[in-house]
Amino acid sequence: MQLARRPESCAIVIFGATGDLTRRKLIPALYSLAYRNLLPHHFAILGVAHTAQTSATFVATMKKAVKQHARDPFRQDVWDLLSEGMRYVETEFGNEDGNDRVAEALEEVDAEHGTAGNRLYYLAVPPKTFTDSVTEIGERRHREGWVRLIVEKPFGHDLASACALNDLLHHWFREDEIFRIDHYLGKETVQNMLALRFANGIFEPVWNRQFIDHVQITVAEAMGIEGRAGFYEPAGAIRDVFQNHLLQLLALTAMEPPIDFTADAVRTEKVKVLKSMHTPGPKSVVRGQYGAGFVEGLEVPSYREEDGVSPDSLTETYIAAKLYVDNWRWADTPFYVRAGKRLGRRETTIAIQFKQAPHPPFEAIAGDDLRPNVLLIQVQPDEGVSLAIGAKVPGAGMTIRTVHMDFLYGGSFRTQLPEAYERLILDCLLGDAALFTSEDEVEEQWKLVDSIVGGWARDRTNFPNYASGSPGPKAADDLIRRDARSWRRH
Amino acid sequence: MGLVSDIERQLGALRAAEAADGRPEIRTSTMTHLVWCPPGWHTDARKTLAGLAERHPARTIILLPESGPRAEIVAHAELKVFRLPGLAHEVVSEVIEIRLRGDAAHHPGSVVAPLLVSGLPVFCRWRGELAAGGGELDEILGVADRLVVDSSEWSRVPAAYAALVPLFERSAISDIAFARTLPWRRRLAALWPQIGSVERLRVEGPRADAELLAGWLRSRLKREVSLTRRQAAAVESVRVDGQQVESPGALPGSSDLLSDELDRPGRDPVYEAAVRATGTVADAACHPG
Ligand SMILES: NC(=O)c1ccc[n+]([C@@H]2O[C@H](COP(=O)([O-])OP(=O)(O)OC[C@H]3O[C@@H](n4cnc5c(N)ncnc54)[C@H](OP(=O)(O)O)[C@@H]3O)[C@@H](O)[C@H]2O)c1
Repeated sequence: MQLARRPESCAIVIFGATGDLTRRKLIPALYSLAYRNLLPHHFAILGVAHTAQTSATFVATMKKAVKQHARDPFRQDVWDLLSEGMRYVETEFGNEDGNDRVAEALEEVDAEHGTAGNRLYYLAVPPKTFTDSVTEIGERRHREGWVRLIVEKPFGHDLASACALNDLLHHWFREDEIFRIDHYLGKETVQNMLALRFANGIFEPVWNRQFIDHVQITVAEAMGIEGRAGFYEPAGAIRDVFQNHLLQLLALTAMEPPIDFTADAVRTEKVKVLKSMHTPGPKSVVRGQYGAGFVEGLEVPSYREEDGVSPDSLTETYIAAKLYVDNWRWADTPFYVRAGKRLGRRETTIAIQFKQAPHPPFEAIAGDDLRPNVLLIQVQPDEGVSLAIGAKVPGAGMTIRTVHMDFLYGGSFRTQLPEAYERLILDCLLGDAALFTSEDEVEEQWKLVDSIVGGWARDRTNFPNYASGSPGPKAADDLIRRDARSWRRH
Repeated sequence: MGLVSDIERQLGALRAAEAADGRPEIRTSTMTHLVWCPPGWHTDARKTLAGLAERHPARTIILLPESGPRAEIVAHAELKVFRLPGLAHEVVSEVIEIRLRGDAAHHPGSVVAPLLVSGLPVFCRWRGELAAGGGELDEILGVADRLVVDSSEWSRVPAAYAALVPLFERSAISDIAFARTLPWRRRLAALWPQIGSVERLRVEGPRADAELLAGWLRSRLKREVSLTRRQAAAVESVRVDGQQVESPGALPGSSDLLSDELDRPGRDPVYEAAVRATGTVADAACHPG
């Protein structure tokens, strides 16, 4: 990452500083930003949570977290820089004494570290404490310099609750102060989707229904719910992944070129895509729930056997859908999307399947192996782009085989790539919201989710309907086979 | 779930060391190449892979099933770098060896599925007996586009061919033993039209090669041809109705044979017909039940 300008001085305040997200992602990301000298000249980190502990204990725990989770090697000088202004305040959100303690600590930080009253608040807290924490920050708003608020997912449970959250936030803050995070948008490949489409003359002219047969978007996880039944049971795959990551990837794939790359322009185009989407009929959506099986060689239990999950749970751990974007560019071009847990392989990909060449003169020679061109955008595990093209096998004759031109970022796997959270925290420090989700987008996403979930109440399910480690339910294969197409196998 | 991240970490470190110039890397894989390698086959498999050199840049995953009291999976990754004259970039292949102990050995599909290179075909060289495969074979067929066996590694030939036939509908299958007979098949084909009326075939060579040659001849001529055989390490002599067929000379080595099989895309109807016409399969077809 290279910076055109350095972020202004500010205090970074993490609500939920003893939580998993802070330990695994946020502090390691801040360390990597410090490692590259990308943090403001004057900054301080204030951790806020429930647990009673001293600042010294908090700093020691965060040091351990950096050693364990940061992508960069541990350097004492970088750590000293990061931890110099690191403090911890114990509070119960909504409690006035606690609120005062946070305010006092921030004033001290301003005085000691020159953070000028500016604040980046990161709300890494459970949804039920959201109102209290937003209100607490809002009430202090007028005493502070600029304020930016990063809000984690889940952003609501349905359209009504998302609108209520938006109302709450707007009561205290302007839309340009609110940064709703979807960490997928911080990934290099996802941003590269924009570069790929709009900076390369070769793709944009063919990026439409005339040349593209269909698009497949896959967000597959090998993991189960990892002890998070409390969160997952009421959410399911549609709220955990479909509403946010999947629809974001779809919007980026389908959007029209924005006038420029400012937050407003990019987000306006994405909203247009979401607004043009039909509600899929019941036959175009498949739900699934994993049974027992084998993943990475080891036996794993069914969803209903996971700790904290009801033995007759109807929560879906898999969703597949055929979606349409009803505009000039995409009319009649299906977007097949699927997301699920405990699948055979972890992969997030966008596959653009181009139409077969009209009269392939090499068809007979190529046999089964000549497939239509596919542009594969890999978001994880190894970020990159590959293009499958038909090429002549060297030697005599005109044998054509599918060849993959494969491009991995950074010369290695994840070790060299910035973590999504680094990019997003830095953007927020700079006040750039292009990679965050706007109010309109969130509401459009929930409208679609509500319309799908509404149909489920009438439906009967037969869960579990796929084995852990398999590619998903059979009904998902049937969904795409009906159109004489098939899911990419890997 | 540490296996995949462990392998990614190992490969990441190796690649970082390799890409010292910091340029983005163009990966050169053309397939995922699985090798199912039960105890006793490791040395042979490694030798054959070494002989393939840079011909099939791939992610090669060698699966080493072992018995053991509890499920355990241990992986080791390495990079094979080939610098070729006249090529600006080197060709880099990844080799991942995975030891599957205990129960883990029965679920190879779930181990390799997360490691397959996106969008590329999957070939599996299945070493040793096929019949012993059971559920493991079933899982491998679930991920592989093509299964490459060598029926001369099987103890119950020709009976074992019967188990192969149902698999033709699930995956493309080829057989190194059949590929090895190609020079002899060419010689026999050159005897057309006289060979059209042949009734007896005599082969000095391995059982599998002889059975497949006979099956091939029957299926091509659509008539019964009897087979007699004398054991030899490779096919040394072939006679039709008592007449010696001219020898095609030196036969290709195991790496070259595998290399050819890795170049083939779809099903091989000639091989499938030959297998169907080997003694036992043909008998079973004639006397069902
Ligand atoms: N973990 C992830 O990878 C991840 C990924 C995406 C989104 N998210 C979202 O990020 C948020 C945080 O996730 P997490 O996994 O870090 O949760 P977590 O481990 O449960 O941590 C929650 C944090 O909030 C604090 N807290 C809760 N109630 C409080 C209260 N009434 N007063 C003061 N502090 C309170 C906890 O403090 P104590 O522990 O001291 O009680 C803890 O620091 C959630 O909204 C989650 O959906 C997390």
